[in-house]
Amino acid sequence: MTPGKPAWVVLVGAACSLVSARAPAAQTTGTVDLGISTVRYDGFLASGAASLTPAVRWESPRGMVSAHGTYLRFESGHRSLQGLVIGSIFTPATSHWRGELTASTGASSYAHFASFWHAIAEARVHLLGDNRGAWIGATGGLTSYGGPGRPVAAAAIGTWARRGELTFLGSASRTFVGDTAYTDLASSVHARRGSLDLEADLGARVWSRGGGRGVYGEANATVILGERTALVVAGGRYPTDPIRGSIAGRYLSVAFRMRRAPLRSLPARDPRAPLVDERASSGSSSSGARLEIKPDSGGTTHVVVRALGATLVEIAGDFTDWQPVGLRHVEDDVWEAVLRISSGLHRVDVRVDGGNWLVPSGTTRTADDFEGEAGIFVVP
Amino acid sequence: MTARRLLPALAVGLVATLLARRAAAQDPRLARLEPGTRALVAALVDSARAAGLPAEPLVQRALEGATKRAPGDRIVAAVRRLGADLGRAREILGSAASLPELEAGAAALRAGAAPAVLAELRRTRRQPLTVPLAVLADLVASGVPADSAATAVLALAATARDADLVEFRRAVERDIALGAPPAAAASVRLNAAAREARPGPP
Repeated sequence: MTPGKPAWVVLVGAACSLVSARAPAAQTTGTVDLGISTVRYDGFLASGAASLTPAVRWESPRGMVSAHGTYLRFESGHRSLQGLVIGSIFTPATSHWRGELTASTGASSYAHFASFWHAIAEARVHLLGDNRGAWIGATGGLTSYGGPGRPVAAAAIGTWARRGELTFLGSASRTFVGDTAYTDLASSVHARRGSLDLEADLGARVWSRGGGRGVYGEANATVILGERTALVVAGGRYPTDPIRGSIAGRYLSVAFRMRRAPLRSLPARDPRAPLVDERASSGSSSSGARLEIKPDSGGTTHVVVRALGATLVEIAGDFTDWQPVGLRHVEDDVWEAVLRISSGLHRVDVRVDGGNWLVPSGTTRTADDFEGEAGIFVVP
Repeated sequence: MTARRLLPALAVGLVATLLARRAAAQDPRLARLEPGTRALVAALVDSARAAGLPAEPLVQRALEGATKRAPGDRIVAAVRRLGADLGRAREILGSAASLPELEAGAAALRAGAAPAVLAELRRTRRQPLTVPLAVLADLVASGVPADSAATAVLALAATARDADLVEFRRAVERDIALGAPPAAAASVRLNAAAREARPGPP
């Protein structure tokens, strides 16, 4: 097998989708992925591989740094090592505009004879709306495959929109790597339902000189297993990446993700698309249930919980004396109760099918003084 | 057992029994706690009442611990800590502060809001502070730095309605969910609110 698209990219990309997400308030998150995959690079035989991928992300309001590495062991006994560090800083927000500067550097090696490195920087200007946005960006840097660095230059535009639980993205980019040039048209859709997170990408490489051509597509599904664990299944076909030194291929992977529970965590954010990371809202250690609070005019409050495939949903909070209150099943995956909840800040947890009390998404997660967490929400 | 050994044991048992009875008499909901824990929680609740602090948040915190099957000592520590937070909140917000205000104030302080921010809110807002304080606590819990959250809430609190503040918080949450850094999200939404509030041309 030649050094192609590192399987860890596939695994990380897929596994990122759910488990590193929102736990309110901390600056650092960490995950470890254990996975197996089969990869077939274009022109080569398929090969299986086992992977270990630790990742850490530090985030502040003005920027973020993430780093991850991967150790891959192939069927042949060969091994591959990769590492990548990405940092972003953001300009102060002015109205709906924001600037972003991202630097990325990474290196990889396969067996003892192939190695890549790259160092690139990208500047983006974002336009941020309520449920839609767009960006334009330019990239410059160097990449190398065992020799002198080749210059990298790229320009990209992108847009995104969100409708309910669906997020759509579209982008176009033109990239130059030495004498190689290509254009990528990419799109993706992301959906979330309960503890299931789905993402599909479809793209095409056109007007290419040395970068390959064709249509490619990937899909991944992430299933939350517990507070700190998830299962990620991903597969598809991806294009050659001349910057990071990977060649086109097909893959299928399964990964088990373990997340270090952050003391205080910020929502996870894909540094490549800082304004529209649908992954950010996918919820990490949520109960798989989403809570909606709808105050009525008569002093009562409609409490709605959406829980995929649940047969029993209960809620407990400071408005029920922390006694479990069963919700009424009103339609598919939708449960409801009408309660009296006073104005102010409230604490709540949800239990599905008699399991553990967990924080529902749709609330802000906070430490509960009992070595656990509670969701908080505000009623006007 | 000699009388010398027996007397202290009887005294401890008597005190515990009295405390437990007192607790049961005070709030039947505390019956869900273990007897020893119940007695200590009831004592804390009584102390809070005697100090003019609201008892309900303390009872709720204890009940939360009971529902989550937390150890008794942890429940007692949580109630004690909340009592202290409520006391601090009342010192800052004044004795006229309502129960929900104290609760939200305690949560904001616990989240990391500076006491001066609470005092400033009390000074600038004539309406109840419950929702601004709750939004402040919630923003900080969402990852917005305490000073950024305070700036935003202080800027809005003087004139904004409670519903506007809640909507502001929702908008920030949406932006954060979309990947915006929390501080930037608060800043952007604050700017937008300021723009909307600005009077147009005559």
